[in-house]
Amino acid sequence: MPAIQVTNLHKNFQTKRKAVGLRGSLRSLVRAEYGTVEAVRGLSFAMDPGELLGFIGPNGAGKSTTIKILTGILFPSSGQATVLGFVPWKQRRQLAYQIGTVFGQRPQLWYHLPAIDTFSLFGKIFELDDRETSKRIAFLAEAFDIADLLETPVRKLSLGQRMRCEVAASLLHKPRLLLLDEPSIGLDVVAKQRIRDAIREMASLEGVGVLLTSHDAGDLEALCKRVIIINHGQIVYQDKVSALKRTFLTSKLVEVRYARQVAPDFHIAGTETLKVAKERYGVKLRFEARQTPVEAVMARLSEVGSVVDITISDPPLEEVIAAIYEQAERSEAAIAK
Amino acid sequence: MRKFTKYWAIFKIQLINSLAYPAELFWRSIIVVLFLWVFAQLWKLPFAGTESGVIAGLTYADTLWYLMLTEAIELSRTRLIRNISEAVKDGSVAYLLNKPYDFLLYQLSTSLGETFFRWLLTTLLGGAMAWLLVGPPPDPRGWPLVLVAILGSWVLNFCMSALIGLLAFVTEEVAPFEWVYQKMIFILGGMLIPLDFFPAWLQNLARCLPFAYQTYGPARLFVDPSLERFAALMLGQFTWIAGLSLLLALAYNRGLRRLAINGG
Repeated sequence: MPAIQVTNLHKNFQTKRKAVGLRGSLRSLVRAEYGTVEAVRGLSFAMDPGELLGFIGPNGAGKSTTIKILTGILFPSSGQATVLGFVPWKQRRQLAYQIGTVFGQRPQLWYHLPAIDTFSLFGKIFELDDRETSKRIAFLAEAFDIADLLETPVRKLSLGQRMRCEVAASLLHKPRLLLLDEPSIGLDVVAKQRIRDAIREMASLEGVGVLLTSHDAGDLEALCKRVIIINHGQIVYQDKVSALKRTFLTSKLVEVRYARQVAPDFHIAGTETLKVAKERYGVKLRFEARQTPVEAVMARLSEVGSVVDITISDPPLEEVIAAIYEQAERSEAAIAK
Repeated sequence: MRKFTKYWAIFKIQLINSLAYPAELFWRSIIVVLFLWVFAQLWKLPFAGTESGVIAGLTYADTLWYLMLTEAIELSRTRLIRNISEAVKDGSVAYLLNKPYDFLLYQLSTSLGETFFRWLLTTLLGGAMAWLLVGPPPDPRGWPLVLVAILGSWVLNFCMSALIGLLAFVTEEVAPFEWVYQKMIFILGGMLIPLDFFPAWLQNLARCLPFAYQTYGPARLFVDPSLERFAALMLGQFTWIAGLSLLLALAYNRGLRRLAINGG
């Protein structure tokens, strides 16, 4: 049985529409006009138990709405979904025992109290016995490196420390599935790295499935095996992260440093020169690996002169994702025409 | 059993939380001293005008102790209406739903936790002031009954406030309802003037409405404790709580279906 099964899910929001200005306001008093926003439009996907699935899309794509439907917080307008065998909006409380949730923008720790107080409260809410709770807290304190932070009022923690406590708190009741909505939002690079490491470790240790929304491609790269990209409430791409790279990361970036100066109009067949450094020792170029094999480029580069240093890299995943969004927008515009 | 201890834990954490800013707690409670001083000046004259020193069965001291208790109940009220209606309006109600508890019982537990110390402090300060003004409090043998009645009053207030807060699902803005509710407590709840001083028809009207069971009931029991009075109060509170909580559960379940999350 899949951990999550979603079939043709729709969610529409009614919003009051009003014409501009005072006259518009008065008119809407007499007869309100409603417009419909389609936040989720026919979403279908499945997630295996223990899978690490990334759910990404730009702002307003419907990520959070989907997560809220899957936790039973929102009723969908139509379509089916089961999470761990439960229909979320009908069996919210039974489901809540089995899942952990973190909403990056909505802290669940009590702000004025030390995190340990919230941990014990969650122990009660999830109906664990006290010994079990304290054993679990000790374990999570180690895993998330928060042992020293537990006694400090949450308001005095840094954002990174607080998020580690948040995620740890969501794992207190050993959920089978973790829903993380923007867990790394606002964190600096080091804090992001630490939280990703801890999540990955816990996932492999306890076999927890993770559904993660983010608009940070780094989260995706570090944590997820598979990715679903949505835009305007629809899936525009769904495959393994590695496939995403294979399919879209076909171009390579090369930075070369030569022992001697190169010509200002430096060019290598089958590549595109992006930049020649001012003092003309360093060169940056890009090529399509499918058309020009890496080997060939390397050979041609060393023909020019003696190479001191070379790095070959993939373009950042973020660029790739942006390209996918754009592609989806274009095809949608074409259909609209 | 664990189904219930979680609500006790929620109550307790809110209790601790309400001590996070003791100074704020103190300053919001101390105002009762001022109110009682004003009431003392206000009621001095009418009572001086009577021969027996009794109006509608209450002495001057009774009246002040009565007002001390109604004020303590009123001042310890939380911003429940605002909290719930805002949670409904901005959709943050959703984030309270991702744990295995009943939303309404969760709200009840936190609201009681928030109320308790406020009430205790207001009562201590107000009690000290009343003692200073008119002498010792009424018969302590009645106090346990009064405590039960106050608990009932809190639960009843919760039902009404939550119901008004949930109106936000339909009307979005609930401030006018909140205003009316508060004024009803002031007048028909007997918060400012003991209902006994009103004409009979108004007293009868108040008896048919839930407001008097929140403030008048416990305060009147406090100054003139009797099992009979207590039983009548319990019956009134229980009936209203039962009826309103049914309505509340209904409103909540219907409201949830309409829940739209802004910015989702």
